[in-house]
Amino acid sequence: MTESRRYRPKLAVWKFSSCDGCQLSLLSCEDDLLAINDAVEIAYFLEATRARSDGPYDLSLVEGSITTPEEERRIRDVRDQSRFLVTIGACATAGGIQALRNFGDSEEYKRAVYAHPEYIETLQRSTPISHAVPVDFELRGCPVNKHQILELINATLNGRKSNIPTHSECMECKRRGTVCVMVARGMPCLGPVTQAGCGGLCPATHRGCYGCFGPCVDPNTAALANQFAGLGLSPRQVRHAFHGFNAWAEPFRTEGDAHD
Amino acid sequence: MSAQVVSRDGFAALLERLIADGYRVVGPTVADAAVIYDDITGLQDLPMGWTDEQEAGRYRLRRNDSPALFAFTVGPNGAKHRLFPARQPVWRAVRDGSGFTVDEPTEDDKRMAFVGVRSCDLAAMHIQDRVFDGRAFSGEHSGDRGYVARRENALIITVTCGTASGTCFCASMETGPRPFGGYDLNLTEILDGGRHDFVIEVGSERGAALLASIQSREANAKDLAAIADIAAKTTAAMGRRVEIRGLKEILADNPDLLHWKVIAGRCLGCGNCTMVCPTCFCSTIEDTTDLDGDHAERWRLWDSCFNPDHSYIHGGAIRRETHARYRQWLTHKFSTWHDQFGVSGCVGCGRCITWCPVGIDITEEIRAIRAIVQENADD
Amino acid sequence: MTERTIAVGALARVEGEGAIDVRVRDGTVHEVKLHIYEPPRFFEALLRGRSFGEAPDITARICGICPIAYMMSASQAMEDAFGVRVTGPLRDLRRLIYCGEWIESHALHVYMLHAPDFLGFQDAFEIGRTQPEVLKAGLKLKKIGNRIIEVVGGGRAVHPLNLKIGGFHRIPRKREIQTLIEPLQWAIEAARDTVGLVACFDFPDAERDYTFVALRHPDEYAITEGRLVSNRGLDIPIAAFSDHFAEKHVPHSNALHGVMVDGGGEYHVGPLARYSLNSDKLPPLAREAACEAGLGAECRNPFRSIIVRAVEILAACEEALRLARAYEEPDQACIDYAPQAGEGHGCTEAPRGICYHHYRLDDDGLIISANIVPPTSQNQRTIESDLRLVIERNLDMNDADLTWLCEQTVRNYDPCISCATHFLDLRMDRS
Repeated sequence: MTESRRYRPKLAVWKFSSCDGCQLSLLSCEDDLLAINDAVEIAYFLEATRARSDGPYDLSLVEGSITTPEEERRIRDVRDQSRFLVTIGACATAGGIQALRNFGDSEEYKRAVYAHPEYIETLQRSTPISHAVPVDFELRGCPVNKHQILELINATLNGRKSNIPTHSECMECKRRGTVCVMVARGMPCLGPVTQAGCGGLCPATHRGCYGCFGPCVDPNTAALANQFAGLGLSPRQVRHAFHGFNAWAEPFRTEGDAHD
Repeated sequence: MSAQVVSRDGFAALLERLIADGYRVVGPTVADAAVIYDDITGLQDLPMGWTDEQEAGRYRLRRNDSPALFAFTVGPNGAKHRLFPARQPVWRAVRDGSGFTVDEPTEDDKRMAFVGVRSCDLAAMHIQDRVFDGRAFSGEHSGDRGYVARRENALIITVTCGTASGTCFCASMETGPRPFGGYDLNLTEILDGGRHDFVIEVGSERGAALLASIQSREANAKDLAAIADIAAKTTAAMGRRVEIRGLKEILADNPDLLHWKVIAGRCLGCGNCTMVCPTCFCSTIEDTTDLDGDHAERWRLWDSCFNPDHSYIHGGAIRRETHARYRQWLTHKFSTWHDQFGVSGCVGCGRCITWCPVGIDITEEIRAIRAIVQENADD
Repeated sequence: MTERTIAVGALARVEGEGAIDVRVRDGTVHEVKLHIYEPPRFFEALLRGRSFGEAPDITARICGICPIAYMMSASQAMEDAFGVRVTGPLRDLRRLIYCGEWIESHALHVYMLHAPDFLGFQDAFEIGRTQPEVLKAGLKLKKIGNRIIEVVGGGRAVHPLNLKIGGFHRIPRKREIQTLIEPLQWAIEAARDTVGLVACFDFPDAERDYTFVALRHPDEYAITEGRLVSNRGLDIPIAAFSDHFAEKHVPHSNALHGVMVDGGGEYHVGPLARYSLNSDKLPPLAREAACEAGLGAECRNPFRSIIVRAVEILAACEEALRLARAYEEPDQACIDYAPQAGEGHGCTEAPRGICYHHYRLDDDGLIISANIVPPTSQNQRTIESDLRLVIERNLDMNDADLTWLCEQTVRNYDPCISCATHFLDLRMDRS
């Protein structure tokens, strides 16, 4: 640690509606966890510690989507206490898989799952954090890539721009030397409209990308949907391809809605 | 230079010789449903019994009954991936008191031998030489030292294409299917009845020395005629062509065609065409630090003109819309590349057609643009 | 009348969000509530109409800590519906990746979530300050668990992507699997040390006569398959799950609790149940370590679950090493099957206990209904009973210490509230 940086910025990790996987990705930075703890003060991170120190926080990482009135209130508190607020993962950034309920009748969903739906106080929709409060940066992924979390913390500490690309997943596949599964195997793949960041995992595992990282910059979803139809997908299958883990992200939502 | 004939076993011995001489041998092999270029350890790694079918947006590996070792055409990658790696370190810096020291990464000094390079890729290599060695700008080797070193050390063994795919158009780009020179050795695979030989043309002294180390006989007129015969048959089988006459001007003069937007309606903007193109050379820079800020690294990564960020300068990207990016790419390949490097930027390998996820066909689009421009001129 | 309230507003070092509410009146425990305020995410509802093949990837998102449990139970249920079974090397690969999840999840719990309680620390970082080598070894163990998942599962430990109905998308290469051997050899030693380390902790006396429920398999310590058995004589195929287990709405809680139909009582799933029912099936080193740590054939003290988890880490490392060494690439990444209408059951041992899935499918293989019972929901009632016992025995403790002890009592179960909540009946009552 250099002498020049004695101040340890305060890091807080917050959870809303989610599976915990993105927070866990941070805990999965096993080699760097102790270094992170040296470099920042972990001021609030319930999954890891009982200790809590009060805000304001220099960097807040927010996992999960907003699905209850209580969460709507709580995210405003978090925003008020946070200098830099970064959402981590598809739930916080796009509403997550639970946003699939946004396409149905959420009252009916409650009745389907719960014996006493009248007790369930939830919002009609699962929405991203940015719908409730201003967000400084969004990290994509279901889950986030732990290297991107590290890169973000690292860049923030060192006062530089983080290396988080917004281009298509195809770039990662090609840099990695993965053979395109759509061209060589006829598998539908969301890679051409999905933001890079995972490392190109699915095509390297011989399956099409299913869009964990949400839409890339300028996605031409209609052209890809047309190609999917050419590969033999039914309209329902095309809809479900777009209505996955980032279904409520606008380009995917609209494209899925166009195929009934 | 001369030509020799070696048997299949002789060719196997040649590969063994390369490995014994300390070369990293890079050649075609089957992996992940395609013929890719990767490290090979001998004849057994070559794609015997495999061929491919290629159409716009479609590649399929197929079994065939032939004992041929090169009965396929270009796959998704080639020599570019090794000579111009997708990700390479530029420098590393370590904090040192109040300053820092900078190290340049050391190059892997193992020489590479590329086996089975197609003439289109050989042409692409010569184009990238102009890009990276800096002569196009300054007249001397002022360019990418890493590239120049890798390239100068590389041994190139090409192969005359004995088959053409549906997306090949090297003949119309005048780069193949028979290598024009600039190789160390050129193979032509001869299968005739029970015969399985290679006619090997020598293109350099290094190639001659290598060939001298294995058993061979001098090629006769019939052998040499077979090379021309195979090349002619492959040319005739080529699935596509591009009319290059006047194309440079047509593209330069028509940036405002509505057709660019028509193409953009289908274009995913994903960048696959540029990634598979053997001449595309764009890169971006990524700076990384460790948590303490005591170590910093600069990396160079392949980039694409299809990424909006690629043309980002203060205030925003220059080419904000897909049609502008597609136009930039196509116009660069067939028009402004001539201005910049004195050659076409397209070698006719057809990869951008095959590996476009939605099958946009560069030859069709050029034909359409030519027709529209012609029609406008006639009006 | 004196009233004493112990409230833990937000439980730390658990997965998901929950709280404890305890009311003590005149020296007796009046009310114990384990609040689950994690919002519901309606998984069963949103699975309807989706294709059978999507169930593993979608249900994985119920829990980022044990996605493999969900992927595997969902896959098994679909295979059951189609009348096929995954056997041979593909089954071995599934067991291998599941071992990875056990190692990762248990190492996380033992070192980062649970051990600090026994050492009087707020978190694992304090262990890092006093005994950095211990924490580093724990993190390295966890990393090896993650590494197994990454190698078999397609490159990432949270929500791996190589698992599917019938097997895998891509066959892991032998050389890739072999990279696990050396780290696992280290891990076995580290896991033995872990057992020794946690066996020396002080454990409150909290033995209870639990009804333990776990999978049991004739040939192995059950993880991916088996029959459901209990220490009260239950022995049923997983398809009979709903005949014997139900979810009940109790007045003092907003959550549905898993109960046994026969007798309607609470039951206990997870490491303690597995160990107590299957300790005879542990691989040799794990059995030996358990013996050295003073565990008998059964373990009924939930605070000692940290020892059992450590033993299970060792068992998973042993199994993983055996499977990695014996690995030969199968011919096919996935068995053949024909989707058809029907219903299927799946049940596997998640790190926290049995994870049961049931689906009904239509002719197109679309999901008509889904029912998922995760381990933490099944343990909720037991956790509340444990809390009641612990409080009754420690009423003389001051509030701060008793609160911490209550938290620790909950953490004994490594509860995954994110998992539990997708089906919990929940009321946001904050009065």
